[in-house]
Formats: sequence, C-alpha cells, structure tokens
Amino acid sequence: MRPVLLQGHERSINQIKYNKEGDLLFSVAKDKVICAWYTSNGERLGTYNGHQGAIWTVDVSPDSTLLASGAADNTIKLWNVKTGECVKTWEFPTAVKRVEFSEDGKQLLAVTEKRMGYLGTIVVYDIRYGEDLTDQTDEHSLKITCEDSKATVAGWSYLDKYIISAHEDGTVAQWDAKTGENLQVVEAHEYDTTINDLQFSPDRTYFITAGKDKTAKLIASRDLSILKTYVADTPLNTAAITPKKDFVILGGGQAAMDVTTTSARQGKFEARFYHKIFEDEIGRIKGHFGPLNTIAVHPLGTGYGSGGEDGYVRLHAFDKPYFDFMYEVEREQARK
Amino acid sequence: MSKTASRPDWADDVSDSEQINDPTALPPPVTTVNKDGTKTTILYRLDDQGRKVKVTRKTRTTVHKERVNPVVAERREWTKFGLEKGKPKGPQSDTTSVGENIIFRPSRDWKNVQAEEAKTGGGKAEEKSLKEQLRDKKVKCRICSGEHFTARCPFKDTMAPADEGAGPVADPLADDDESKAPGGLGIGGSSYVPPHLRKGATGAGAGERMGGKYERDDLATLRVTNVSEMAEENELRDLFERFGRVTRVFLAKDRDTGRAKGFAFISFVDRADAARACEKMDGFGYRHLILRVEFAKRT
Repeated sequence: MRPVLLQGHERSINQIKYNKEGDLLFSVAKDKVICAWYTSNGERLGTYNGHQGAIWTVDVSPDSTLLASGAADNTIKLWNVKTGECVKTWEFPTAVKRVEFSEDGKQLLAVTEKRMGYLGTIVVYDIRYGEDLTDQTDEHSLKITCEDSKATVAGWSYLDKYIISAHEDGTVAQWDAKTGENLQVVEAHEYDTTINDLQFSPDRTYFITAGKDKTAKLIASRDLSILKTYVADTPLNTAAITPKKDFVILGGGQAAMDVTTTSARQGKFEARFYHKIFEDEIGRIKGHFGPLNTIAVHPLGTGYGSGGEDGYVRLHAFDKPYFDFMYEVEREQARK
Repeated sequence: MSKTASRPDWADDVSDSEQINDPTALPPPVTTVNKDGTKTTILYRLDDQGRKVKVTRKTRTTVHKERVNPVVAERREWTKFGLEKGKPKGPQSDTTSVGENIIFRPSRDWKNVQAEEAKTGGGKAEEKSLKEQLRDKKVKCRICSGEHFTARCPFKDTMAPADEGAGPVADPLADDDESKAPGGLGIGGSSYVPPHLRKGATGAGAGERMGGKYERDDLATLRVTNVSEMAEENELRDLFERFGRVTRVFLAKDRDTGRAKGFAFISFVDRADAARACEKMDGFGYRHLILRVEFAKRT
C-alpha cells in the first residue's frame, strides 16, 4: 500500500478523527488550525481558523454538520463543518484536553485540565441542531469534578449510558451519564502512569486504553473488567480498534523530551498491529519520524490514519494481505 | 481499404489543426459518430492573429458507474474554505503527497520473519565488516615482507618464504643474550644459521624447496608463445587473472635489451582454470600478434 501524506500542519499532530461515513478526516495539531480532508484522495477541504492556542482535541458530530474542538486557549469551539465558520465558543478556566460527541450527537463532553488551582473536570453540553447552528446553550448540563486525579481522556459508552474516563494515575472510572454519579473505579494500568488514549469499539460496549506503562487494555464498558492486555515495548500514546478484522492498532514511541534520559536505542515510531483476541503482535507499519500521537481507523475498516509528532498525517488503505490474514482457528471457524 | 487510410490516424488527431487562409465566416462545427462509437468533431475558430484554424477532435466516452452514499457525494461537492479557499478541485501538491510503498503482511510470527530478515541483513553486514577489516589491513608479502601479495613478489622465484619468527637472527634480544653469554663464540652463538636448521625448514622439505623452482608442478602452467616484444608481465597477468588465480607469470626477456623474447609461462592454482584460459586465450590478439597458448610440457 502507498500511504497518502497530509502536510497541513506545521507542528505535531494531536488528534485525528474520521466522520461516521469515513469520507472526511479532521486533524488538529499544536499550530492552531483544524484541517478537514477528503480521505479518498487526501485533498484538503478546508481549515477552521480561530483558535489562539494549540488544539488538543477534535470530534465531529454523527451527521457531520458540527465539529467540536478543544484547545489550550481554554475554549471549546463548535464549527459548521461545511462552511468552516465558528458557531459557538465556550470558555473555561483551563485548557480542554478532550471533546467527544455522544452516540446520538445530542451531547458533547469535554475534559478540562487541572491547573492553577482548578480541579480537572468533565463537563457535558447539550447540542442543538436547529436551522441556526449558532443557537447553542451557554450552560453545561452536567459537570463532574475529578478530585483524586485529573481525567486525561473520556468518552461515551453504549447508549450514552455511562461516561468512561481515564485518569492520570492509571485508573479508569465509570460515571452515570445522567446524574454524574461515580459508579466504579478500576486500576487498569500500572499505578501512576498516565492513560493517553481511550477509543471505543463501534458498538461502544468495550474500549481500548493506551497507557504510558507500555500496555494497552481492552476493557468492558459495563463492569470495567479488563478483557485483554496488549504489551508493547514503548510508552503508548494511542490505541484503536479496527472494525471488520479483529485487530487493534497501537501507536507510541519514545517521547522527545525523554530521549536524552533513557538508554533506549531510539525510535520505535511504528504503528503496531495486535490481534484483538489472541493478544499477539502481528505486524508493524513504519513511516513516521516521531512518536505516533494519534491513530484513527476508518469506520468501515478499510484503512487507518496516523498522526505523529513529526507533523504528518499518514493515511493508509489496507490491502489484500491484511484482510486475508487469519489464525488457523479463525479459518476453521469460517469453514464451519 | 482506401477509406480507412484516408481517415485521420487515432494517434495524431488530438489537435490536428491546419490553417485555412480564408478570413470569411466560420463554418459551423460538424460532429460525426464513427463506427467504433467514438465521435469526431470538426470545428473552426479564429486564432489570435485572425487566422482561421480547423480543429479536429476525436472523443471517446466511457461511463464509470460507482455507488456512493448520497451524503458523501454531496460532501464531495462542497466548496473549499479557510486556507484552501479558492483553490482548484483536487489534491494540492503542497499539502498532499503520496508516500513510498509499504508492504504490510500480518503474520503470527512476524518477529521471527523479521529476525530472519535481520539475520540475512546481518550476514551482509558481516561480509561488509570483513571487507572493511581487510581494507584496513596492510597487505604483506610472506617472502620479502613488502606491501604486495606473496604471489606478486618479485623475489618469489628466488627466495624462500620468510617465516613469522624469522629465526633467531631477526630477534635482537636473543642476539644480545647470546653475545653476552661467556664463550659464545662457536657454540651456536654466531648469527649464522644454516638453512637446514632454520625454523620451518624440516630436513628434506627444505631441500625440496631449494630445488623447487625447477621442479614445480607444471600441471596448471600454460606456455604462451608468439608474445609481442613489447609485452609486460603485468599485462599478461591481467589478461590471465580473469580465469582464476595466477600464481606465477614468467615472461622471458632478453638480458641485454630487456625486451621480451616472445614466450611466457603462466601458472594457475587450479588446472581447470588453466584449461579454460588455454581454450579462451589461444588465438587471442594481443599487441598486434595472435597468442598461441598451450599447456607447458614437462621438461
């Protein structure tokens, strides 16, 4: 396969996201602009300009009309996907590290940073899809304050029943999405290691977390039981579950600031493929010159994109060997 | 047949234009449908100098059908905005490029596969390192310790190989000890060691070596005749080294003039190489003369 390289950013990529149909890809980086791309040919549809600081996170509503972004300028901005206009800005006392639309798109959650005397919070806003997209509520509908350890990433479970958050101390928490009640906390990763990413399966009944402790875990949404553990040899920044095939993709690499303080040879800037069920590593894809900060899989499972510290987004379309690969057991199962 | 010949060729019809110097009104464009389903359009226009130009255009329409989600199709038609505003349709070269081909084959034991690849790569690396080691090593002749291969030593036919230790003679410390020893005179303390007592020279072996020059194994030696007077040993060596390792090149030269006498002997390590060289080089033109190559006869 020949990857398509997207060079729309001047600084390291923080997050990329496909829309529901997978024809658009949104990327955010530390350079204040959001880029929208056509995934079929890598053409840039446009940029959303307006943020004043590094943009940490982006998400698109299920019907691809609204785009939410959270940035280091302490705001969440809501954009009209088609025109590139900013339709709403919410301000916070601290930076916004993660935004995510609920499954039906009617709610938006945001994770805010803990800093300058403010505790980390998870806030939820109701989103309206009227004729006038700028008509949005100013008040959040729910606010969860993380008193122990700040949340780094969060998402919506199946049917928007729970909010799942992953924390700086390696724990994963489950909250009631209606009341904000803390239902459960699990120490999923090694104590005191940051969880950098959390991505749901297509049906949102389980999710994968990527930790600085060099592992990724597959966790059930309902009871937070750890289903699978994938062990890597480098700190992980991101992990994604592939539809169509039972794989997971992990991305990471030695952080630039740690290179001088560790004895590790270098690099490991590859996307690692693991079998979701057998937990074996089945291959790697090279390409980036820096750690992988984010991986997103095409919703149809036909390809994936990765964004790295090197500022490139690489779009890969899987080819035949990827789809053909099966374990002997799987093959027998398929024959029956 | 003549009809098909008169038809404009498919290859050069793209902008088959000819000038008609008639400044009157332009005839209307004519479109004809050809047998093979293509269309030929002939239209006339005025170029910027006011001349009339006839343009013949042949078009073929092919229909590609593709099923696309209507929402996706609609999004495909969106106008660009932000930094891309006003840019033409299609990927821009400054933001989009295609990377190098990646071969991705998931495999259960991909680590072993990779290790194997690394091993083969490692083997190459070893070879390389060996080469590099050799590059740094100095070539040393076993006979005269000069900086050339032993096989190329000019004294190879006249001197026995010098052994590593080179006997007590070469060892100055030992020499000193012996000279200090009382009564050193005569009791093996002298610096002269007869050849048969030298290190490495074992009785009969030494004797054989002495006469070796004339009793060498001639099985793999070629006699080359009709060699030019201007010939040189180096050239001959180059000529014959293509077939295998050459141990000796002897070019008979006139003692007074220094010119070649017209014959030479080439010794190979391997008789098979010699045979091949004999076959190939017999009749080879060298310096305006045709070489005659045959196996040397034992004299």
